[in-house]
Amino acid sequence: MIALSGVRARTLSIDSLAIPPGLTAVVGLNGTGKTTLLEACTGLLLPDEGTILVDGLPPREVDAGWVSASPDRSLLFSRVDDELASPGRFAGLSPIETAARATGAAERAGAVRHLSRSVRTLSGGERGVVALAAALASQPTVLALDEFDGFLDRETLDDLIPAARDSGARFVLWSTHDRELTRAADHAIALGGGGVAGTGAAALALFDAWERAA
Amino acid sequence: MTAIILERVVIERGPLRLEGDLRLGPGLHAVTGRVGSGKSTLALALAGGIRPAAGTVRLEGIGRRLWVGHDPVVHLTGGTVAAEVASWRVEPDSLLSSLGLADRARDDPFHLSLGMQKRLVLGCALAARADLLVLDEPFASLDLPARARLERALTARDGTTVVMTHADRHLPPGTTRWRIEGGRVRPEGP
Repeated sequence: MIALSGVRARTLSIDSLAIPPGLTAVVGLNGTGKTTLLEACTGLLLPDEGTILVDGLPPREVDAGWVSASPDRSLLFSRVDDELASPGRFAGLSPIETAARATGAAERAGAVRHLSRSVRTLSGGERGVVALAAALASQPTVLALDEFDGFLDRETLDDLIPAARDSGARFVLWSTHDRELTRAADHAIALGGGGVAGTGAAALALFDAWERAA
Repeated sequence: MTAIILERVVIERGPLRLEGDLRLGPGLHAVTGRVGSGKSTLALALAGGIRPAAGTVRLEGIGRRLWVGHDPVVHLTGGTVAAEVASWRVEPDSLLSSLGLADRARDDPFHLSLGMQKRLVLGCALAARADLLVLDEPFASLDLPARARLERALTARDGTTVVMTHADRHLPPGTTRWRIEGGRVRPEGP
């Protein structure tokens, strides 16, 4: 369980929230704090107040993977195979173990055909797929996917939903504006009004309100 | 009447090769295609950022071309949100209130969320009234009400507008659709 209590971070206030293991869709209008919640649960951001515990540990003591909403900002290396090997190399694993993790992650994310490519030649959507593979190669406990589905076509997204769920990460937090993804997720959290606006079916129902507002 | 005409054009960029013979007249055009099919490359070619390897690109009634990439951050130059709007030679007050950003006018645009940055840059690009506006994944990062507002603004615009998108359900009726498949740009649908 990821347990939040009395959390204040940027514009977001959450008195109490428990996120169970599995794939959780995080939804909400622009500027309601989706990225802030993901950053706080992965330890990228320390809340101004309150506590967050991931299975009893502070987020900074738990391995986390991050895929940015902006595909250009997720990748560090100029070659895809170096990008996917980097988590193993940084962790000091043997070359064999590093390669096995990179290949396994590429297979799960559908990035095998990109392995020998230069990052510069990847499209926005392909960078997202490679960034997901790189995040999986680090075998995180918490995997945060920050709206990266905005650059994916429907077929690719439909392939990646099960890939994210079966990634081995105990918690997958995926912020999105996609109703089908939210419906397919194990859990849903909607943000709004400075905090949590609803969870589960109540979060899914907000899509109707947003479409009416449109 | 505005139009951009690609006559037997071949565009090459890295491993990608695209061919197309198309005329994009006034109104809204949408180009779809799978991840990596070449949508962004075609967008750059339409905007004049890539010269085709073969064929000709002709412009009719188009003076000013404007391209907006998928990542709004690459467009931000202003030190404040208001200065950013002014840098597009657009009057900030009315635009910012229509975008719901009036209370952020003095903030650093880099402190906005990605969705808010996207609204800001798209709002400026639309207000800048280019004859040809090319938008790469404009719906990505926007929430559903913002997508609907963008859809209306794209329909209301004069000139030729081209969006490269996966979000084809957000396209208004009357949109001319194109699809990239197997390295070719083709008209799609009825």
